[in-house]
Amino acid sequence: MGLLNWMHKKRLLVFGVAMVLGVSLLSGCGGKEATTKANSDTLYIGMANPPEFFNPLLNPGIAGKFAIRFMYDSLLGMPEPNKFVPALADSFETKDSQNYTIKLNPKAKWTDGKPVTADDVVYTLNLIANPKVETSKNSNIKMLEGLNEQGKLPEGVSKIPGLVAVDAHTVTLKTKTPVDPNYIKNFLGFEVFIAPKHIFEKIDPAAIGSSEAATKPTVTSGPFKFVTYKTNDHIEYTANTDYYQGVPKLKKIFVRIMNGTLLVTELKAGNIQMVAGGGIGIVPIKDIDILKKDSKLSVQTVPSFQGQYLDVNNSIPEFNAKFRNAVTTAINRQQIVDQLYKGTAQLVPTIYTPISPVFDKNLKSLPYDPVKAKALLAESGFDTSKEITLEVPIGNVLREQSASLIQQDLAAIGLKVKQEKVDFPTLLARARKGDYQMILIGYGLTVDPDYSSYFVPGGSNNYAHIDDPKLTKMMLAAASMTDSSQRKIAYGKIQEYMSDQQFLTTLYAPDWIIAQSKRLHGGIRPFWDGSLVDLHQWSLDG
Amino acid sequence: MIRYVLKRLVISIPVLFLISVGAFILVHLTPGDPADMYISPDMTQAQIDLTRSALGLDKPWLIQYFEWIKNFFSGNFGFSFSSRQPVAEILAQRFSPTLLLMSVSLLAAYLAAIPLGIIAALNKNSWIDRSIIGWTFFNVSFPPFFLGLALIYVLGIKLAIFPTGGMVVLGQENDIAGRLMHLVLPVVVMASQFSANMIRYVRASVLDVLDQNYIRTAVSKGLSELHILFAHIFRNSLIPIITVIGTDLPKIIGGAVITEQIFQWPGIGSLTVAAINSRDYPILMAIVILSAVAVLLANLLVDVLYAVIDPRIRYEK
Repeated sequence: MGLLNWMHKKRLLVFGVAMVLGVSLLSGCGGKEATTKANSDTLYIGMANPPEFFNPLLNPGIAGKFAIRFMYDSLLGMPEPNKFVPALADSFETKDSQNYTIKLNPKAKWTDGKPVTADDVVYTLNLIANPKVETSKNSNIKMLEGLNEQGKLPEGVSKIPGLVAVDAHTVTLKTKTPVDPNYIKNFLGFEVFIAPKHIFEKIDPAAIGSSEAATKPTVTSGPFKFVTYKTNDHIEYTANTDYYQGVPKLKKIFVRIMNGTLLVTELKAGNIQMVAGGGIGIVPIKDIDILKKDSKLSVQTVPSFQGQYLDVNNSIPEFNAKFRNAVTTAINRQQIVDQLYKGTAQLVPTIYTPISPVFDKNLKSLPYDPVKAKALLAESGFDTSKEITLEVPIGNVLREQSASLIQQDLAAIGLKVKQEKVDFPTLLARARKGDYQMILIGYGLTVDPDYSSYFVPGGSNNYAHIDDPKLTKMMLAAASMTDSSQRKIAYGKIQEYMSDQQFLTTLYAPDWIIAQSKRLHGGIRPFWDGSLVDLHQWSLDG
Repeated sequence: MIRYVLKRLVISIPVLFLISVGAFILVHLTPGDPADMYISPDMTQAQIDLTRSALGLDKPWLIQYFEWIKNFFSGNFGFSFSSRQPVAEILAQRFSPTLLLMSVSLLAAYLAAIPLGIIAALNKNSWIDRSIIGWTFFNVSFPPFFLGLALIYVLGIKLAIFPTGGMVVLGQENDIAGRLMHLVLPVVVMASQFSANMIRYVRASVLDVLDQNYIRTAVSKGLSELHILFAHIFRNSLIPIITVIGTDLPKIIGGAVITEQIFQWPGIGSLTVAAINSRDYPILMAIVILSAVAVLLANLLVDVLYAVIDPRIRYEK
């Protein structure tokens, strides 16, 4: 066909090419401008998890708790485990470990200018104890007299009996029995945020969760004020220039929500100056070397209060102590730490990690010994022709990879293990119901060694469905001791028993990675929970 | 025509209803209880129950659905489970970034793809045609996440010409040049995907038209080349092109899940992923319904455009 001949002429081609070029030029306009770097009064933080709400009473997630601490102060700060510094409270004292006197800082005020008073403290604690209020803080105050095991008041009672506002700046409170002062300072003094009475008393207690005060707070007590939250994108804060501990050196803080890989690229590009660290800003291990090579960044690894576990469903009779010991002994945990974590994790004998105040240094982790494991498995009487399903939550790449190593190690002693990958909500639902055989799961733990919720029947974290009367008795007794050194001895015995029985296999305790710009003075501390204690003093070099 | 459009709109009401029922069932069948996501490890069953009732999860499904649809008709999409903020507010925040990214990407893609498709067809089997088709193959087979990461690495980190992500530097919202710079990389990724598809449709469609007798007639009448190209070839090849545009349009609402994630674009796509992960039913329902509306409207628009472009197409009452 001769028809096409004329169409080959250059004119059309030139026209087309010009059009394409025009478009690409248009999209490239804006000039050759380098990435904008932050100035010295604005801090950009990268965080992997979104916060939930900004409700001082309800912050079940770590990200939410972190985000709230920029705006709300607690009575005490805790820069290191069990080391307390004044915050809203100047002092928090007791003579008999049962009656406590809290003196508030008279200079402390809310961002609307009203003083923070004893009434606010009493009101907040009563609100937490109110059975109608949605809160994640009630177990923090369950040691107070008049509250049930859940930290709630009985129906019909509206006030915690031993809690009194003596004067505008003094509160006294009474515990059910004498308690370790570190325990109450930790749970009530440090973990509970004080809410402004004059704002919250206007809201129906049952509807606080969805109120403006809980989602877009305007009256707060901390070093920074809430400006805006763009869901799953960023939180913006501005300095509280009337802050009672001193005017913050930074003017603005943006907490940006992004995944682990982006934390690394954004940190390297200078678009964020720190990662939130802890469980909510984990830098991928494979990227640590990239960050360490960057002379503008400081990177360190520190032991943490978290661990990864293989939970064997204890409610299945065949999974007896011998069987569980066989499983732990069969897994080459050192290999997981060395190969997957490049050494940035610790091998620990039980759930207690090396920075826990009660950690028993003399207790050794069960050694990797496939021969012994095989013998233990034979003794356990488990029928090895049965297939076991190991459920692996998706999301934590290293944990997913560790599952294959674990599967191989268990196969080596004759256990047929099948992996099933499930998303985290599904895993959690099955774990709660006890509808599983083996799962991989991570726990974030507290400074206080009372982990009974993980080990006692009915405990909200007892995903392994452990019901061992001896352990239950030991854990409940240790939790109620008042003397720190006695408690340490009791928890030492608990660790021995746990190691002996292997209720759950502690695979490893990953270290926290602290990565931030060298321009930043301040930032994440080796004890992560206490990081924001001096937020008002953080600064950036220009 | 107006009657036809009205009729289509009326038919879409039961369709939307069925979609909402289907979506509601699917969302609720996903394993995992949303209340589990919003409780701390030490919460007791009583507290979990309190949270479930605050989220309205304690009621039977049927009641939950009727409450949802009742609120929906009064313009209330409910509260997000994960942030307890009104769903409408969250969607409003997310809508304009997606609209901006997708419309600029589609526009850039079409402005490049339509001329390239025509050129490829007019030069069928020449090296020009082959290089254009080769290029589309490359774009179709190159995963967007990889292209995105490669662009971020080379142009964002190594050469530091473009920002690595986000829509704007926070705190510098009024910087127009900065906003444009943030737009470039995600638009390149999106546009290369859209254009690859479009080039191939345009090329095939123009080749079809070139074989028609009326083109031969036009050439033999001695009409000018440009006149033949625009009045005869291009206009007649528009029908398949409009169909492709029709399938692309709903993406303006739905966003691009992967590209938005990679570039931290605060749009609907990344919100969808977050909502699935946190079992945020109200947000998911709202996104599904909005996307369904977008698909239905885009289909209607395409049908109307057919009639506008091609007078031979008439819709009966």
